[in-house]
Amino acid sequence: MTPNPGFRAGALAAVPIMLGYFPMAVVFGVEASRVGLSTLQAGMLSVIMFAGAAQFLALALIASGAAPLVAAGTLIAINLRHILYGPALMKAAGQPKRRWAALWSWCLTDEVFAQALATFRTGQRFSEGWITGLGLCAYAAWVGGSVVGAWAGEELLTAWPALEAGLGFIVPALFLALLMSVASRESLPAVAVALVATVLGALVFDATGAILSGMIAGALAGVLIR
Amino acid sequence: MTGAGILLMALVTGAATWALRALPTLMARSEPRPGSVLARFLAATGPAAIATLFMASVAPQLFPVPRDLLPLAAGIIATVAAFLPRRSVILATLAGAAAYGVVFALVA
Repeated sequence: MTPNPGFRAGALAAVPIMLGYFPMAVVFGVEASRVGLSTLQAGMLSVIMFAGAAQFLALALIASGAAPLVAAGTLIAINLRHILYGPALMKAAGQPKRRWAALWSWCLTDEVFAQALATFRTGQRFSEGWITGLGLCAYAAWVGGSVVGAWAGEELLTAWPALEAGLGFIVPALFLALLMSVASRESLPAVAVALVATVLGALVFDATGAILSGMIAGALAGVLIR
Repeated sequence: MTGAGILLMALVTGAATWALRALPTLMARSEPRPGSVLARFLAATGPAAIATLFMASVAPQLFPVPRDLLPLAAGIIATVAAFLPRRSVILATLAGAAAYGVVFALVA
């Protein structure tokens, strides 16, 4: 019997996420310094929140002078989609034991969820060491990039616009590659409805509304269309 | 917002984010009955979520004003083309980003 993949295998699987996270986090750090946050504060936001889209919105809320608890409520609403990730992953992994879920679940971002799901769909067995390696390396890249960006300032990116553009496409490319790896004939209705609902949500609501619309409509389509 | 306010916002958001990510995993202890509505919903959630995240990540380039469409098309084509032969997520991601950056530089 092959042993369960461990922490090191999870860390290797995190490489594409880290390649996407680090430059994105650098951009976050640069933006944080623009709104007046220190390197320590920018790093602290990434350590405590670890949620890319919410952190960028947090900078806008800080700059606008929003009340802290009102800002927190807005940011929590953006992260509501994460409530679906754990149960979907556990289903794909065959409901394994999860003694340390309170720890590794902290790292269950969009990208970590998508990478883990794609891996389990290929038949790889679940291990808490593997998912901890995946999540912690992604976390380290995000926090490290935030600190580097806040420390270096905006000159870091403006000198290399093509590199910045290419790095900015890493996350969409990662999602597209992961989508191709998990998509099957059975999931096509869910995927198609999710894509259309996301576009409609973006036109009618905002980015958060688009994401919630796409995920919920796609999942419901998977239930209703058989 | 003061430094203390920023810390309060981060702590409240961080605690709630942890709860959203961890509690459903900790509480969902049993396998949903195969073929049940919950089982089908959870099975469809993964592909639907990834499709949504992909579309949401490129939507700002498409709406309301399209921009950098050639690099976007090159990035998507390169990602798909690199994925198909070996089904490697890493290779496809890097190829897509490289194609996007190269075409962006050429167009600029």
